[in-house]
Amino acid sequence: MSADPSVLPEDVVLAVEGLSIGFGGSPVNLVDGVSLTVRRGRTLAVVGESGCGKSITSLALMGLLPHPPARIGHQSARFQGIDPLTLGQRAFADLRGDRLAMIFQEPMTSLNPVFTVGDQITEVVLRHKKVGRSEALARAVKILNQVRIPAAEQRLSAYPHELSGGMRQRVMIAMALVNGPDLLIADEPTTALDVTIQAQILSLIEDLQATTGTAMLLITHDLGVVAETAHDVAVMYAGRIVESGPVEALFADPQHPYTVGLMGAMPQMGRREGRLLSIPGSVPAPALFPAGCRFATRCPFADDACRRSVPPATVVTPGHSVSCWKAPLEEHIVR
Amino acid sequence: MTPVRPIIEAIGLEKRFAVDSGPFHPRSVVHAVDGVDLAVQPGETLALVGESGCGKSTLGRMLVGLMAPSDGDVIYGGRNLPGFSETERRKLRRDLQIIFQDPFSSLNPRMLVGDIVGEPVWLHEGLGRRARREKVADLLSLVGLAPEHAERYPHEFSGGQRQRIGIARALASRPKVIVGDEPVSALDISVQAQIVNLLEDIKQRLGLTLVVVAHGLAVIRHMSDRVAVMYLGQIVEIAPVDALFETPLHPYTQALMAANPVAAAGVRGKRRLLEGEVPSPTAPPPGCRFHTRCPHAGPLCRESRPELVAAGDEAGRQIACHFWLEISAAGSGAPGVSVRPPALTRRLSLFTAHVPTGTEDHDSRHED
Repeated sequence: MSADPSVLPEDVVLAVEGLSIGFGGSPVNLVDGVSLTVRRGRTLAVVGESGCGKSITSLALMGLLPHPPARIGHQSARFQGIDPLTLGQRAFADLRGDRLAMIFQEPMTSLNPVFTVGDQITEVVLRHKKVGRSEALARAVKILNQVRIPAAEQRLSAYPHELSGGMRQRVMIAMALVNGPDLLIADEPTTALDVTIQAQILSLIEDLQATTGTAMLLITHDLGVVAETAHDVAVMYAGRIVESGPVEALFADPQHPYTVGLMGAMPQMGRREGRLLSIPGSVPAPALFPAGCRFATRCPFADDACRRSVPPATVVTPGHSVSCWKAPLEEHIVR
Repeated sequence: MTPVRPIIEAIGLEKRFAVDSGPFHPRSVVHAVDGVDLAVQPGETLALVGESGCGKSTLGRMLVGLMAPSDGDVIYGGRNLPGFSETERRKLRRDLQIIFQDPFSSLNPRMLVGDIVGEPVWLHEGLGRRARREKVADLLSLVGLAPEHAERYPHEFSGGQRQRIGIARALASRPKVIVGDEPVSALDISVQAQIVNLLEDIKQRLGLTLVVVAHGLAVIRHMSDRVAVMYLGQIVEIAPVDALFETPLHPYTQALMAANPVAAAGVRGKRRLLEGEVPSPTAPPPGCRFHTRCPHAGPLCRESRPELVAAGDEAGRQIACHFWLEISAAGSGAPGVSVRPPALTRRLSLFTAHVPTGTEDHDSRHED
């Protein structure tokens, strides 16, 4: 994963290297040395539990993290030939909603309750494209049809509260996609939805991605959603990526003890086999992060070396890498 | 099902809420629970499952007398709950307890953990201060917390630990039945597993009956003995857990299973999706309430409501669908059982072998 612009393959939409985020006077980085590459037509899922830094990573990439108080550092970042993390507020506002779009978790709070659906979608078009109001409305209807909202033209005059949760999330997706972005960042897009509606939205996102070729960065805590929608996965724990790779490799050959533990903690959809595996303890407060591997406080295999020094990312198979001194486990651990 | 007398029985249970939609709208009525018959057997874990607005939480609350039914009976100990007097009801509260979903809003932030857990002990048993403190220490260690945690406030604990406090509070009055209203859905996966294990251990040790209200299918599959699937205020299917997951009979149960994302590689692809959304409970469709979304619906489904009847001769299975026989003959929508890949199995067994026993569920760290 190199972000040197001279060697970036053509299909790479976003490449970030060494992103670190801290807050206020605290010396601890809540996001520490995160590198991500998102390719055209593909979905990279960043998966992790609450507090792992996945959401502030996405906010930083969208230029939505106020700094200060945040301290954002990075080695390099490339999006459409520019480094978005060096852009000022105004320049970022030109990018956001146009080349770069975002879907949030809570469709009720991310839509403005006092404007109609039509107003909110056309605003995105009028802000970025040199078109008139009637053309903007036409594009709004077209995109509402694409996200399969029935009776799209009538819906233009509907207010968010008149729509169900699933419909609101469709409107959010329509707003995000109306200008044909190169990259879509979706932060827990289906977490607030019921399972049958979640399935509808996930399949909609997949279909739209197949037709438009939009690259997607999917932030989620749900390994089921990852398995069903992602092409590539990055597992985050306490601000660092501990393992990353193609989705098949990650599920077939999980290397990091945290990844293994997460998969073991998920109840199986088969006949029950005794107790669930649980990862001992909980994520420590940032001030208590160990100097070495941040999973060391909960890892059953951790020793002094793990607590002392940060494990580098090592390649398991091309594209699949893990940051663990003990990987592969069966070679380092005796029963 | 063995002919044991049910510990709680609901008969023709209904709950209606009047909704004011504003000065220019007529008052409308939400049928949250509409004609539910359900028997909870002693010692079992019964899951109520369904999507938001299906009435599962309302039903759970009525079963433990936290909410009065609009119509119908809840029989506990041979008597009808709504007929209990205020004093009797307080005694009843001892036997029937509840654990809430959100460990952040269900604990009083101004009370010490010791007081939160100790209050029901004091209310129900009237013990002295020292005996109460000992009882609280016992309860805290039962849920994997330390006695000194009694001197702290809820905000000093992580989500998983707060849920342990909620469980300790529910156990304080030595209940017979506990309703868990989405007890793990607000928790992270790794912590969720700790709480699921804890609930199962406690249920075994104390011989409790558990009613779990939940929407996460995998957790239900793991925890429960029987499952009741609800849709728009009615039970559409009840079955033993393995039977339900291996051969779901009701088209809605099948759709729920098909929509559940499976965490295994190679499952990407087209799935059979349920069209449309749950209709408003203020104006539920006539006939079978699922007919607006059901791929098998015929004219009969639009006209007459299917009764919950025994499904064939399989023990304990009941279904409310006019065409379940035809649908099950056409093949069920059972979800594919995911098989763990060998590398994961190998590393999981290393993981389990290295987690020191006994410390697994104890978690002394706390977050700010």
